Amino acid sequence: MAFDPQREDYQRLGLRFASTLDTSSPAEATRAFATFGRRFARERDTLPQSDGDRAFHLVATAAKHIDYELPFADDAEAEKLIQRGHALLDEALQLDARCYDAMRMKAAADNPSFEAFFSYLTEHAEEVRRTCEEQRDHILANDDADERTLLAADIAMRPYLRWIATQAEQALICGRNREALRLARVDLEADPRDVADARFTAAFACAKLEDEQALDELLHGAAAKRRIRPANDAWALIARLALAHKHYDLPAASALLNELIRTYPHAAESFVRQIELPEGVFARLSVRPYSEDELVLAISEATVLLQEGRDPEGRGVLSAWVAAQAAQTLPRAVLQMLAEQAEANARATGRGADHGKQGGSR
Amino acid sequence: MNAREELIRRLAIKRSRQLGSLSTEAFAELELAVRDNPSAFVDDAEEEAFALVAQALAKLNESQHDDDLLDDDQYVQARAQRLARLGASCAQALSLDENCGDALLLQLLAADHSPDELVGRLLDLDVHLDDACGPLSAGATGDAWADVFARPHLRVKAALARTCADTARFAMARATCDDLLALAPLDSLGARLTYALTLARLEDEDGFEWLDVREGRKGNAWFHLSRALLMYKLGRMPAARRALNGYDRLCTGGAYILLQPIFVDTYLPDRPAFEPGSFLEATLAAHEAEPIIADTPDFVWWASEQPGFYDSAVSYCERNGLDWRDPNAP
Repeated sequence: MAFDPQREDYQRLGLRFASTLDTSSPAEATRAFATFGRRFARERDTLPQSDGDRAFHLVATAAKHIDYELPFADDAEAEKLIQRGHALLDEALQLDARCYDAMRMKAAADNPSFEAFFSYLTEHAEEVRRTCEEQRDHILANDDADERTLLAADIAMRPYLRWIATQAEQALICGRNREALRLARVDLEADPRDVADARFTAAFACAKLEDEQALDELLHGAAAKRRIRPANDAWALIARLALAHKHYDLPAASALLNELIRTYPHAAESFVRQIELPEGVFARLSVRPYSEDELVLAISEATVLLQEGRDPEGRGVLSAWVAAQAAQTLPRAVLQMLAEQAEANARATGRGADHGKQGGSR
Repeated sequence: MNAREELIRRLAIKRSRQLGSLSTEAFAELELAVRDNPSAFVDDAEEEAFALVAQALAKLNESQHDDDLLDDDQYVQARAQRLARLGASCAQALSLDENCGDALLLQLLAADHSPDELVGRLLDLDVHLDDACGPLSAGATGDAWADVFARPHLRVKAALARTCADTARFAMARATCDDLLALAPLDSLGARLTYALTLARLEDEDGFEWLDVREGRKGNAWFHLSRALLMYKLGRMPAARRALNGYDRLCTGGAYILLQPIFVDTYLPDRPAFEPGSFLEATLAAHEAEPIIADTPDFVWWASEQPGFYDSAVSYCERNGLDWRDPNAP
């Protein structure tokens, strides 16, 4: 499902606007609302909004720059986008000191290590939960439980869901897999629909812990049955593939890889390339289910599974195996092109093609 | 692996079988005679093959003495030659005894397969030895290691456990270690060391405590390092700090080797012998832990930030005239 910052910005102002309309005259209200879309796009300042709404708008704009534009920018442009993004986040915090999205996004950049960022998130998680729950309870107490109220209550909780989801993802990156699984479960309990897609992180944590039972429960248990999307997403399939490979059940691992290749466009190329993307600082990027982008995102997050273990090329055991298997399904010309691209990228970033994590060189 | 001692024992046992039941004293005397001139007692193809393997391992150890004097290219070349020679000796041994477990194992290791490929081949070899020599059992003594003829197969399993851990197959590593500890509870091959790292990586605190108690909480470089990693991964930072401190105090050069890992070559066929508490012990433990440490990306950084740890590493380095490579240097 993922969090879409622009959509959330729209929903916030929409709710605020609707609450100011005279509901005694439905026709009048409908007419007024017809102008909302245009005013949102062009005359935003004429719409009623709180400091929290303004701050969130800055967050959404910063998210657009950092998460959606930065990966495609050249060096000069990148620096500008980062600066602009950070200025927006600072401004957001001046407007609303409890704008937790802005706090979290700033902390992602300010903390030099995974460990420091994770500690920061852990330190403030309780405060974020309390504040968001207070806001939600306040909304639910003052209004009738109509659809708008429920949406507003839902939106009030989202900064907390994003906070915990980020914390879970960071725990996974730090090698704290039990904590990652626990946090993802906290997120899933707070939001059974799983807007944050915390189950993706949980699936990888289960694979890291080689806990097949926990993975089964996550993908096919009672909670899973209530979800709209079946457990055939890239994260679920990669987690199962990693487990099969860890059990040295190579036929099962191959079958899962083939399922991924059938499900996702250009999957074999993506498994040969295995691009590592920076994590979205607002939230996991919002991409179309079963799209090429979704698989690229899942593969990037699967770095923790792919790049583990000793391997002669230093790229990780599963990474090497998957790349070799996927390459077998591709024509020679495509492989040639992928190799050239990889070389050009390595030159451009000034690094070798070797992106292994292992120390201990001779 | 002390191949010469094993050869003597094997030959003495085989000869005593021919002679009929010997008293303990008579057996000891026979063993002395074998020690004096083992080749005189080799009288079947199986032992001829084992003797070849023992000889090849002795040569291998000799040829490694001057490695420190070689530059990287020379080292790579010397290593390749060494492994080729070892492979050829194994092939010769196998022409005499196709089920010579150590020759089969060393041949696999000398072929320098990727660890991922090695797992599959070791699994096959384990099954092959089950079929060819019968499955292992703890036997009358309660420890399979006491049967010198079972040791090659035990070494295959120990190599399998380590290779599983090397290739991020920790459930398989755990199962293989369980197997080894059941077959050979005295654990002469140190499966518990692989086990400790595996349980740390799986964040299995109960399992680790069980193993630590089994070990009499005596501790060694693997256990101290595993506990520090486990506590760090579980986010129990005071306990992680205590464990790291223990590792630093009790393992000679432990802090140094964690911050300045040294290349350790393939075990041929098993973990080299080390003095308890020696620098070699810490070196081997840190080497085996390397993939797990890399999987916990900030662990080394965190360790170096703990009071006294970095200084301890630097001071060990200076006292022993070792190199200090700057990790940020190009």
